[in-house]
Amino acid sequence: MRELREVYYVDGVRSAFGRAGPKGIFWRTRADDIAVKLVRELLRRNESLPSERIDDVIFAATAQVGDQGLTLGRDVALLAGLPRTVPGFAVDRMCAGALTAITTGAGEIAMGAADVILAGGVEHMGRHPMLEDVDYNPRFVAERLIDPSAATMGQTAENLHDRFPQLTKDDADAYAVRSHHRLADAWQNGVMRETVVPMSVFTEDGWREADTDEFLRGDTSLEAIRDLPTPFRPGGRVTAGNSAGLTDGATVSLLASERAAAELGLEPTLRLVSFAFAGVEPELMGLGPVPATNKVLEQAGMTVDEIDAFELNEPFAVQVLSWCDGTGVSPDDERLNPYGGAIACGHPLAATGVRLVAQLAYAMRERPSARYGLTALCVGMGMGAALLWERV
Amino acid sequence: MSDSLTEFKLTQVSWPGLERSLALVTIDNGADHTKPTVFGRSAFESLGRILGELEGADWAALVITGKPYFFSAGADLEEFSMRADPDQAREGSRTGHELFGRIRNLPYPTLAAINGACLGGGVELALHCDARTISTAVRHFACPECLLGIVPGWGGTQLVPRLVGAETAIEFVVENPLRQNRMLDGRRAHELGFADRLFEPAEFVDESIGYAVELATGPPEPGPGVGPPDKSVVDVLHQARDRLDDTVHGAAPAPYRALDLIEGALSGWTLEEGYEAEEDAIADLLPSPQARASLYAFDLVERRARKRPSLGAEARALTRVGIVGAGLMATQLATLFLRRLELPLVIADVDEQALERARGAIEGELAGLVAKGRYDEGKARFLASLVLTTTGREEFAGCELVLEAVFEELGLKRTVFAELEAVVAPSCVLATNTSALSVTAMAEGLEHPERIVGMHFFNPVALLPLVEVVRGRRTDDETAATAVELATKLGKRPVLVQDAPAFVVNRILTRLLSVVLTALERGNSIEETDEAILRLGLPMAPSVLLQLVGPRVALHVLETLHDAYPDRFALSQTLANYADGRQEIAVVDESPLSQDEILETALAAIADEIRYLLDEGVVPEAADVDTALILGAGFPFWLGGITKHLDQLGISERMAS
Repeated sequence: MRELREVYYVDGVRSAFGRAGPKGIFWRTRADDIAVKLVRELLRRNESLPSERIDDVIFAATAQVGDQGLTLGRDVALLAGLPRTVPGFAVDRMCAGALTAITTGAGEIAMGAADVILAGGVEHMGRHPMLEDVDYNPRFVAERLIDPSAATMGQTAENLHDRFPQLTKDDADAYAVRSHHRLADAWQNGVMRETVVPMSVFTEDGWREADTDEFLRGDTSLEAIRDLPTPFRPGGRVTAGNSAGLTDGATVSLLASERAAAELGLEPTLRLVSFAFAGVEPELMGLGPVPATNKVLEQAGMTVDEIDAFELNEPFAVQVLSWCDGTGVSPDDERLNPYGGAIACGHPLAATGVRLVAQLAYAMRERPSARYGLTALCVGMGMGAALLWERV
Repeated sequence: MSDSLTEFKLTQVSWPGLERSLALVTIDNGADHTKPTVFGRSAFESLGRILGELEGADWAALVITGKPYFFSAGADLEEFSMRADPDQAREGSRTGHELFGRIRNLPYPTLAAINGACLGGGVELALHCDARTISTAVRHFACPECLLGIVPGWGGTQLVPRLVGAETAIEFVVENPLRQNRMLDGRRAHELGFADRLFEPAEFVDESIGYAVELATGPPEPGPGVGPPDKSVVDVLHQARDRLDDTVHGAAPAPYRALDLIEGALSGWTLEEGYEAEEDAIADLLPSPQARASLYAFDLVERRARKRPSLGAEARALTRVGIVGAGLMATQLATLFLRRLELPLVIADVDEQALERARGAIEGELAGLVAKGRYDEGKARFLASLVLTTTGREEFAGCELVLEAVFEELGLKRTVFAELEAVVAPSCVLATNTSALSVTAMAEGLEHPERIVGMHFFNPVALLPLVEVVRGRRTDDETAATAVELATKLGKRPVLVQDAPAFVVNRILTRLLSVVLTALERGNSIEETDEAILRLGLPMAPSVLLQLVGPRVALHVLETLHDAYPDRFALSQTLANYADGRQEIAVVDESPLSQDEILETALAAIADEIRYLLDEGVVPEAADVDTALILGAGFPFWLGGITKHLDQLGISERMAS
């Protein structure tokens, strides 16, 4: 009977998150170059790890084209200067890309096929907008297999408001404002300085440092966002103020087996307890993390009350509120997103997952009594992902 | 339709379990889904060649299928309609019989895999195969020939009843075409017995080949089959003829002929005898005036009327719309706007109770749609939340279009528009649903008369697709373009009309009504006048139409037309009585007309009125009048609207001279 091995999260870093488009800091930077910088920094932070001991490099991207397209994990490994003996590959589960890179790598470790994995994600939405090069099968429309609103994320958020009328625009705005304030604090007091890797990038104004999250508005308020236009529906509820903007950014994490951590002097912070992916109606994709959360808790034989920290992605405030509604966790609960989230820092689709894990690891450190933490997010076309972690 | 030529393409397929190859034939024209595959001369030549190969070799089985989205849309109507004489028509029918008959006679199992739209000759080809599979994605399975004034001429009248029985055959061949060209979907066609297997689209061709292999390698499992009929064929046909009389009143020969052919099929005719009878029928029907008129009407409605008029201006984008009035018509319009536009909708009325009733009706309709599974609750809630009712005007601020549907009185409508002008932007389109008042007059005295336009909808809104988009003298291009675009978004068919009393449809109908009223006032009975007009095959008798429209509305329209054209539209005491609630015919003298005379007078009057209407430039061409009458008054295809019929009878010429 083969024994499966435990999987540990050792460390994780991210780039600053920039605004997609010509006005953003990463406009003239290649996606793979951002990832390369992070890989090199991650290795520097974990100096006792010889790079030839990395068994696989897994990078996710939604748009597997152009500078994100050349089997990203392998491409980035070579460009980062890792030995040729280190293999790599690319993964896509849209917003859950990096989390899927983690779970895929975890599978390798658990099976004994690998001891050390780099897993992360990249999304340069400025160069590769959503739906670039996508060619929908005409059967979707001809056979009415999915509701047309499923193709536009903002429409799915409006659909959530329709489905749950108790989740109002005011609630969404209030949550959004809090996210910005918390992220601003998080930049002040450490977690961002720890997890964000500044890098020099070339821009129209010459070389500059990409070292801040461009969407952050620490001084925002309810008044400031209340009357913003609703681009997805006239008289709608979803605005730029209560959603995450289109973002450029990358992340990478270091996973290891127990034996490798011991041997190589690595200091794991989290152990992967369980994980789950789930499918929901594509036009209500925001609901995805609810069944994923339930599945993961069931696997672990736990209830949501036993979880001490939550890092939930925030593509739309109403999506967070609907997860709260579905799990019974209040949006005001101090366990939930204490350092702010995507509404304030942005959501580079495939990259986001590792940001959630890194912030979760920090939260567990800050609170010695915290034992279990959950990272979860929703995915376009109607999916959810949830990973349950235990402090080490 | 015949730019990309339809061909039959043959490939060989090897399949596990088959000793010999299977023949896979595809009906294709190399074009995308915007060009349906049709059977014209060149398609049949191609089929002839393929049949040589199919007959000449020892295949395990034959599967025929179509290109993506189409099995086949049937005969090439352009080519077919050019067969103007009986011999050519007969030859067209004979050719199909011969070719399809050869498919039927192939010595190995044959299967039609109906992957997409399958109409007319496509159905007939499929019926000549031993078996049929059909895809759940098919939404168009029909034999619409009766709508076009002919009958299925390639074996359909013979094979459909043999396959599915008398009742289904009659519904499919005779009645569906006359019910707004109703068609079956794949699931229903399978249920009724037209197909032996129903498959999902994802692997349709593979699964169909698999079924053909089953047929080739073993005794076939019985398909769903058709149960024994409940009634005798004689009874079924008798009842069908009665129903046809009620709908068509003998005005069109094709559906009656189809019934005869179906009867023959079930009375012991051999297939060859049935083919001959079809050929006779096509020879009689295709050159007939009704078929000529139907093909013309079909082309009008399917092709010409779908072309957008080029107005030299862009339609304005809509983000907020309004309706003034909360009566029955306005409520129907509100529901339509809400469902199609999904925009904030302001509804105003002086009467709070009317507003509550309107909201109740809208929410009731939405609840019904949720119950039917068409909307989910969240969507219905969202749509209901878009409705804002008011007794005021301020809420219309920000609207890009407001439609008024208040009481038919010029002063009142002018007031409404003036009040709206104070609140909306200068570019907001102010539309009127008036049926008879002058759009130009309604715009007088306004600060921005150029944004006034008529949008005349027809009752019942859910059934009649016509919208008369009426340009007043000052209406600008952008306003007209916005009205046309809105009508299209609402799923309606706009026809551009210049402002003139009663526009097109009501003017013609009222002229017809005048003739009827005159006959009544000369001593004819209501039955006599109704029967005379029904002989045209109009969808309803004049007395019934009058009830539907309402005598007061009809009187208002007549008075408007009388003011404008007193020589042609006399006032009628009878109509005034009806409008007062008294069913009293004001007989003037006792000189009743024969039914023939009534009909002739009516047709001459209509032709006369159309001549004036065209001379005035209300619409540019007779075809526009026909389109309006078909789409707004349900005038039947076999009259070609009306002008084709008038031309055929020589009435148009006589009136012109």
